[in-house]
Amino acid sequence: MPWRLLKYGLKSSHNEPRFFPEAKPLKSHYDVVIIGGGGHGMACAYYLAKEHGITNVAVLEQGYIGGGNTGRNTTIVRSNYLTPEGVKFYDTSLNLFEDLADDFDLNIFYSTRGHFTLAHTDSAMRTMRWRAEVNKHHGIESEVVDRDFIAKEVPYMDLDCAGTHPVMGALYHAPGAVARHDAVAWGYARGAYNRGVEIHQKTRVTSIRTQGDKVTGVETDRGFISCNKVVSMVAGSTPRITSMLGLETPIEIFPLQACVSEPVKPFMDTIVVSGSLHVYVSQSSRGEMVMGASVDPSVLHSTRSSFNFVEGLTDQMIDLFPFMSRMKVMRQWAGMSDITPDFAPIMGKTPIDGFYLDAGWGTWGFKATPVSGKTMAWTLANDRNHELIEPFRLSRFTDFELVGEKGAASVGH
Amino acid sequence: MKVFDCPVIGPRPISEFDYIGEVRRPPMDADEPTWAAYVFNRQGAPGLLREWWYHRPTGRWYVMERDTLKDEVVRFIDLEEVRYDIPA
Amino acid sequence: MTSRLDPQPLEWLDRSETLSFEFEGLAFTGFAGDSISSALLASNQTLLGRSFKYHRPRGAVTLANHDVNALFQSSEEPNIRGDVTPLAAGMSLTACNVNGSLEKDKDQIIGKLSRFLPVGFYYKSFHKPKKLFPMWERVIREKAGLGTIDTRWDARRKAKTYGFCDLLVVGAGASGMQAALTAAEQGLDVVLADENPHIGGSLDYQLANDDSAAPIRTALKQKVQSHANIRVLPGHLACGWYTDHYVPLLGPEGIVKMRARAVISATGVMEQPAVFRNNDLPGVMMASGAQRLVARYAVKPGQRAVVLTANSEGYRAALDMLAAGVEVAAVVDMGKADSRGRWADELKSKNVSVLEGHAVYEAKGKDKLKQVVVAPFDGSACNLKLAREIDADLLLMSVGWAPAAQLLYQAGSRLAYDSTLEQILPQELPSGIFACGRLNGAFTLDQRLADGERAGTEAAAFLKDQPLPAEQTDCRDTEAHSHPWPIVDHPKGKNFVDYDEDLQLKDLVNAAKEGFDNIELMKRFSTVGMGPSQGKHANMNGIRVLAAVTGRTIDQTGSTTARPMFHPVPVQALAGRRFRAERLTAMHQWHLDNGAQMMEAGAWLRPEFYGRQEERAQAILREVQAVRTGLGLIDVSTLGKIEVMGPDAGKLLDGAYTMRMSNIKQDMTRYALMVDESGVIVDDGIAARVAEDRFYVSATTSHADATFRTLSRHIVEWGLDVRLVNRTGTLAAMNLAGPHARKLLAPLTDIDLSEENFPYLGFKEGNLCGVPVRLIRVGFVGELGYEIHLPIESAQLVWNTLMNKGAEYGIRPFGVEAQRVLRLEKGHIIVGQDTDGLTNPFEANMPWAVPLKSKPWFTGKPSLALLKERCQRTLRGFMLPKGYSGELPKECHLLIDSGDIAGRITSIAYSPSLGRYIGLAMVDQPLAGSDRMYQVRVDSGALVPLEPCAIPFYDAEGERQTIDLTEVA
Repeated sequence: MPWRLLKYGLKSSHNEPRFFPEAKPLKSHYDVVIIGGGGHGMACAYYLAKEHGITNVAVLEQGYIGGGNTGRNTTIVRSNYLTPEGVKFYDTSLNLFEDLADDFDLNIFYSTRGHFTLAHTDSAMRTMRWRAEVNKHHGIESEVVDRDFIAKEVPYMDLDCAGTHPVMGALYHAPGAVARHDAVAWGYARGAYNRGVEIHQKTRVTSIRTQGDKVTGVETDRGFISCNKVVSMVAGSTPRITSMLGLETPIEIFPLQACVSEPVKPFMDTIVVSGSLHVYVSQSSRGEMVMGASVDPSVLHSTRSSFNFVEGLTDQMIDLFPFMSRMKVMRQWAGMSDITPDFAPIMGKTPIDGFYLDAGWGTWGFKATPVSGKTMAWTLANDRNHELIEPFRLSRFTDFELVGEKGAASVGH
Repeated sequence: MKVFDCPVIGPRPISEFDYIGEVRRPPMDADEPTWAAYVFNRQGAPGLLREWWYHRPTGRWYVMERDTLKDEVVRFIDLEEVRYDIPA
Repeated sequence: MTSRLDPQPLEWLDRSETLSFEFEGLAFTGFAGDSISSALLASNQTLLGRSFKYHRPRGAVTLANHDVNALFQSSEEPNIRGDVTPLAAGMSLTACNVNGSLEKDKDQIIGKLSRFLPVGFYYKSFHKPKKLFPMWERVIREKAGLGTIDTRWDARRKAKTYGFCDLLVVGAGASGMQAALTAAEQGLDVVLADENPHIGGSLDYQLANDDSAAPIRTALKQKVQSHANIRVLPGHLACGWYTDHYVPLLGPEGIVKMRARAVISATGVMEQPAVFRNNDLPGVMMASGAQRLVARYAVKPGQRAVVLTANSEGYRAALDMLAAGVEVAAVVDMGKADSRGRWADELKSKNVSVLEGHAVYEAKGKDKLKQVVVAPFDGSACNLKLAREIDADLLLMSVGWAPAAQLLYQAGSRLAYDSTLEQILPQELPSGIFACGRLNGAFTLDQRLADGERAGTEAAAFLKDQPLPAEQTDCRDTEAHSHPWPIVDHPKGKNFVDYDEDLQLKDLVNAAKEGFDNIELMKRFSTVGMGPSQGKHANMNGIRVLAAVTGRTIDQTGSTTARPMFHPVPVQALAGRRFRAERLTAMHQWHLDNGAQMMEAGAWLRPEFYGRQEERAQAILREVQAVRTGLGLIDVSTLGKIEVMGPDAGKLLDGAYTMRMSNIKQDMTRYALMVDESGVIVDDGIAARVAEDRFYVSATTSHADATFRTLSRHIVEWGLDVRLVNRTGTLAAMNLAGPHARKLLAPLTDIDLSEENFPYLGFKEGNLCGVPVRLIRVGFVGELGYEIHLPIESAQLVWNTLMNKGAEYGIRPFGVEAQRVLRLEKGHIIVGQDTDGLTNPFEANMPWAVPLKSKPWFTGKPSLALLKERCQRTLRGFMLPKGYSGELPKECHLLIDSGDIAGRITSIAYSPSLGRYIGLAMVDQPLAGSDRMYQVRVDSGALVPLEPCAIPFYDAEGERQTIDLTEVA
């Protein structure tokens, strides 16, 4: 038994310090206001305080900590992206993830599982090789594997896929991992709070005040706050914030759905994604199969669930894992994905002085949590884009310099 | 599953439609930034949005004005309204 | 010894059929109509399962699928819910999630360690030192999960059906039946669904012995079952509410996807446990659970009962126990008995002792309830000085209810706490959603019937678009049926709020104190409500605890989101039958008969090559050589084929494709390249001028539907007079290619094939083998070639004729692979292989296809004008050095220049015509603009040199297209 647990048992009362502050009044001024108390917002606050000594910071969250896409994603962490800029960015993130538990003194259940992206067509096989080659070039463990390899690692999968769309091979990314999504947000929040950052839940931003092209503060449903710098880290709510400033972006919101099965004894240690079948699955430490698919086909600002989603998902899932037909789907939910035309985020400075964006996270926001926080904190502190996020600047669309991540489109969680 | 109460073919489930997105009109003699903004930027905020929907079984186009927050179709737009001329 | 009672008037049992089954290796019997739990309880097997975390003994609690204490495993299925799964003959069951056996579960030790496992303990431990976490994780994963999967289980699928109705009433209890009847009387088409195998709801178990309910029950059931406008669906679970009243109903035969125009939720309430020490001991049950056990299954729940109550229903339950022969040692009322109505009076008349203002402080017993400790209760705590023990093997809890409001929440309703009823009630319902019955605060039978009638009337008015009656009946009760704080602390804990997750009162209190004082945060940190019951018995008390700790009201505290499904739904039912659309060409069977290896191309199947898999390379080579030297025939029916007709046909194509189409001469064709608004290549094909106002356009296999869709949209937005016909499915197409092509065709057709009449890129209509065809002189594979388009019903005939007559020229069928080699020799791109999601025509080295100057407009033109000067990469040809014999590069291997990525190979193949490996590569600038050698990194990591070269590799002058017949004769 770990020493920590022994300590709890021997204590008569439960005297753990609070993770997060109790609700208190807003101050009239902060140096930085972070809109959005999800993983990204908390990580940004944490690194602002820890690495830049900026602690007069308020994180404003309209709901509760980590209640948006942070708490709705399927917790996969990987770095096997297609473009050099994507690979470098997510690899930095993955490396940060590995040390988070130590950093926080909080177990985020970071668990390296190995990540298979199945290819069912020769064109998918080509894309897998492309990704593998780019990954290897940047020192990322990633390789194209054949059916025999998959059969050994995931012996219970039907590689013939019930007769149609047989699996031809896969991209195997050994460092692919899962982590407890909530704990990541909580760890950052606690770390930020302990360093003096204020966290205000149930606080909604209603408008952003500017003078000329410069931010002067934010209006909230709890009153006005003056500030010099505002960063929007609200994923699915991004257009609501940017429209307050009349700032146009390519972001559109599409629901992304997921579901879990009833818990069963863990048998699946790897993460399996099929881009062609648009499904992915892993098994949580609670024993639930965590499953998802691609984003819904039409724009919607809602986290409603649809029955089509779960029908389509289970249909494909049975082809890969016939025995799953005997399991039950317990719960489904949705998040709102902020999708960009080139499937890469939009980060950094904007045409409005003092307004920064961390958005366009599509279906990849969770895995970028640490690196986004770190690079956005740097960007806020230095008022220029961190080199890792320069390719993701908003102005790339005006310049027709899109990021090539779209080459590896389809499901890639 | 969403149902569209279509003026021509009656109530139809959303799964019969392809979604193309926001109805837009290209600025014909735009400068580069205006053109780039047209190509990439979208009305991302929730609210009323005019969108193209293609009904696959009948091969017919519809433009609906939809509240993207409530997921409710406010009205079907006369296709004449979304017409524009292209230089020949 | 059995606990089976004499037949009960409403029991579900068929006593003529005895079913034998096994549990934990022991033989049991039950009756048809039993659930697994009821059959075991009838045989006095009161220990039914073990709890998830601490492996504590558990018995039946709700008999209603509101808890998972009785969870079983068979060789066919995990996580079988014993309370509601019908018993079947021959079942062989074990307990779920035990280490060893149910009786001797070795993991009970974890319960002893519970003080070492505070709320959220796993977040605070196991991560230091880092290297040990994988070990701890293995331990945790070993203990996680419930049932066991056998990965050898085969796939099962249950067919789905569609259903439609005006009004779906969910819940066939008193109010639901009345609502259905009222609406049906108004002429509406009503479906009445209930998850239980029999209708009646709580009328049948809670009011089973209430004489005044009997005639109402009989009449209601008779009326709904015989009403022509009502379809009664017992045994159908409403899985969830989805947009526009789409409610999948899970029935014994599978899911009925019900589309209603309005929905009434008459789903009732779920009884909530009292929280006291050992409130999970077998023998401690919901009062309604015991009533279900008696009324439905005729099983005596115990010998001597204590009834803990805070409402009139507890007295009803006590009366029911007496009727079932259970001794009632005491009724412990947390409040005052005088407000409990006639059932309390009736009970008092039977001389049962009633302890008012008391609560249960603790239950005692090891694997089964032995004593109940009761003490005076002031609304928040017990006075232990006056505590006493009562011997009992049954303790019924009747302290309150939570609404089964999941469907209402999913539909977007607002609910709020009503401090009169101490219950959460519907406040604002969205359009077309109605609620009635106990869920809506109507508790007496009269109230429930009146409320059902009200809801039925309102739904009918809504559906008929009629005004509502001005007088709105309020059918809600004015007495509380729930206790606001049915919770008693205990220094030793084990007072469970959530049975699924073994969460004790202190766990929730501590979670709130650590800052998880938002209901959603508390759920996520403590896992309350996250187990298989999804909070049905836990959420209400969780909210009460959090409200108390934070000093907020229930409404301020809020509740967690109720997401589908209501109960977990089998994957086999959700998936339904397997349906994979597969498109086959007219020659499909011929391909199979002639040894084709088929590959998927979108929804189509196409021959990859002809021959055995082992001799793939030789087979492809043979096919290539046949085309180059003799004749080849390929099935290209999968190409998109679109007829474009009308005065504005040319204008449409001019706007949709990069090059001008309106000036194609009659009987000629032109390459058709389509880009999107950002200038990215999305499709290519050929456009043929059939007549002044008529074109025939082809598209790539995978993009055919999208191209048709795009063209049809342009017609609308550009206001053009054009009609489109998608002929992809009705026309077949084949490409006859090779130097002998003309010679073979000439005697078979009435079309003049002479070079003057029918030049390269020409188009003709006529007859071939007596069949009307369209011929196009194409050059995709680089030989004299004719693409033959014809009705699918004639295609096989023509194919056979060409194959037969072509034998003398060495004709061979060729597949996609040979075509890839042939077109590569010509340097023709394949959209999607040599291009990616961002490739523009300049990058694809096709500036000739972008007439920026001569055309005023086409889709994507302004983007291309802008991109022309910003070309970052270009598609280039390359060859492997002569005589190269090392490791072969593959498609998507990277070009490396000074250590950096400088592009990738998009196509590579051995060219039999050149005797060398050739390929295309997307090469970054500045390398693309230089004449330096390229270097590609192959699998081994070695760098292989590539010689840049011009394309096409083969027949650069296009002489093969006009090859003279006599020359090759």
